[in-house]
Amino acid sequence: MRYHLLVADEQERAEGRRGIERELKRGSLELIVLHLLAPAEAYGYEIVSKLAAETSGALEVTDGTLYPVLYRLERAGFVSVRWETPQRGVPRKYYRLTDAGRAELAALTLEWTTFARAMSRLLRTGRDAR
Amino acid sequence: MTTANEFVERVLARLPDSVPDREQIGLELSSHIAERVARGTLLEDVLRDLGDPTALAESYLSAVPLVSAPSLHRAVAKLVDLAIVLAAVALLATLAAALLPRRLEGGIVLGALFTAILAFSAGTVFAELRFGQTPGKRIFGLRVVRESGAPIGLGQAIVRQLPLVFSVFFVDAFFIFFTEKKQRAFEMLSKSRVVKV
Repeated sequence: MRYHLLVADEQERAEGRRGIERELKRGSLELIVLHLLAPAEAYGYEIVSKLAAETSGALEVTDGTLYPVLYRLERAGFVSVRWETPQRGVPRKYYRLTDAGRAELAALTLEWTTFARAMSRLLRTGRDAR
Repeated sequence: MTTANEFVERVLARLPDSVPDREQIGLELSSHIAERVARGTLLEDVLRDLGDPTALAESYLSAVPLVSAPSLHRAVAKLVDLAIVLAAVALLATLAAALLPRRLEGGIVLGALFTAILAFSAGTVFAELRFGQTPGKRIFGLRVVRESGAPIGLGQAIVRQLPLVFSVFFVDAFFIFFTEKKQRAFEMLSKSRVVKV
């Protein structure tokens, strides 16, 4: 009986950890994409490769998560889009930050750094080690 | 083995026509797959990285907020559908009465009643499954969708019409006034809802 309870508890805790990771990722995805679009306009595949290259895959964001985020940003008016077909190859959808997108990027960045700073200050107090 | 087109079709099948820029979503996914494959990734791996088509469609749908259909519009839409069915059945019954001998009159009335009930429920199941809306709902720009916003399946379309078959339509419809997403009881059961586009 006790044993079963323990197992359930362990599973719950593991799920909880995954939950936090998922929530953090979901909250940060829009910020990540806005950040990647800040220097210049880019098309979907470019953004995906840039993310993989700049974080060496540490964020584990799949292609399937990224495209709906671009769609959400477009719907919200944070990016504008245009299509272009290169001479050889398939049509590409280019994304560019709008003024509203830049403002959102600034706001999200501030929110994120404030949160991250407060969190690391809290965890650095060092009492956990004892 | 799934082809790129099949994958994109599977995503699009889960996105109703009312989703803004629906074709662009398909084009962009095709373009992404072609680009990755052209740069040497196996199609299999490209599709794995895009994930389950249903889940992908749902993430797109989460960007489109759903607005519950106004109850009055729903009621009038239902009456319109009913009027269409009754008009068609009445026409058939008149025709049958003119052609068939007089002694069959009672049978015609009974047959007409039965046909009307069957046509009303079966017609609604067909229209909502195939087009996501009945003629009456079309007038008001209403659509039947899953709670995620995706088109409903056959099972859901049938369960939605069960209250009519069980003659609990009004009790069922009454739930609209008390539920968060303005759902009938059998809509909650079938995890479907009616939204305004």
